[in-house]
Amino acid sequence: MELHDHEPMFDALRAEMDKLDAPRGVEKELMQAFARQFPRKRRWFAQLLTVPAQAWAWTGSLSTVAAAVLVFALNAHAPHPGEFGRPLVTRDHGGLFIALDSLERIEREPNPRLIETEVPRTSLAQLGVPLTPENAGKPVRAEMLVAADGQPLALRLSSTN
Amino acid sequence: MTTLPSTTDTDLLRQMRSGAADAFAALYRRHQGPLYRFALLRCGSAAHAADVVQEVFMGLLTGRFAFDPLRGQLHAFLFGVARNLILKLDAPRQAALADGDEDGPELPADDACPLARVLHNEAAEEVRRALSLLAPHYRDVVILYEMHELSYAEIADICQVDIGTVRSRLSRARAALARRLAAHV
Repeated sequence: MELHDHEPMFDALRAEMDKLDAPRGVEKELMQAFARQFPRKRRWFAQLLTVPAQAWAWTGSLSTVAAAVLVFALNAHAPHPGEFGRPLVTRDHGGLFIALDSLERIEREPNPRLIETEVPRTSLAQLGVPLTPENAGKPVRAEMLVAADGQPLALRLSSTN
Repeated sequence: MTTLPSTTDTDLLRQMRSGAADAFAALYRRHQGPLYRFALLRCGSAAHAADVVQEVFMGLLTGRFAFDPLRGQLHAFLFGVARNLILKLDAPRQAALADGDEDGPELPADDACPLARVLHNEAAEEVRRALSLLAPHYRDVVILYEMHELSYAEIADICQVDIGTVRSRLSRARAALARRLAAHV
């Protein structure tokens, strides 16, 4: 291990220089360059926001079942109705999306978080999720979009098979 | 994605390359200060120093400057890149000096050196001024050793010279600085 034999004459300069950092604009420019280099993939809830409203509301029964799902998934969080007073539901690549609040509210949320959760399969049967005696006990994995204040905004069910 | 202070540079780089913006920001925040201060002392201009820092990280981001963790620490690699960029920036001025007086000392360009106005401590400013009068290859070694506490081996790698040369440059540079500072007492 090499011992540093520093000249005391540099002490004052070192102390003064330690206060200096690159201008803030440099970090800003770099982060913008980073964003250009790695454009953010659209999150599933962003895709949710672009689906036409008519496509959301499948049937009246779907909204009823969605509400039942929420009772399980959100554990006592009452679902908020989407447009037309019904939860907004759509499918994509076998996944099932359920908006728990209005699209405007989801879009406005500045700092949403994703929480991994599980939903009992039996509660999803009416949504078309395969239910057999063998898999009835297996929960379905889900991601819940939650606002900064803890308010559930949307739910995505994945791997429902 | 977590970027704790204990996360290694290599892990942050890996996360950055997979698109984690917070990893890139953490790398930048960890290394920008030393690089900026090195560039500032080395070239004397805050604007040039900021350009150098930006270009170093831009190169890291785009892969233009490829870091190999097997060849050393990231901070030493970044200093090396910064030094090369400064040499490029300095090339026209050095060529002009070479055309004029080959043996003459590099003159401090105080007009283009806002650092002099930034340093409030008189002793610090005297050392800075004496440092700016050193030839660039001496200045590199002194700044990296005295201000950034790099080892002889790291400095040798950054400056692409052998360790013996680092030692001798450091010794001569210290002697020159001591003479200049003594003359001002």
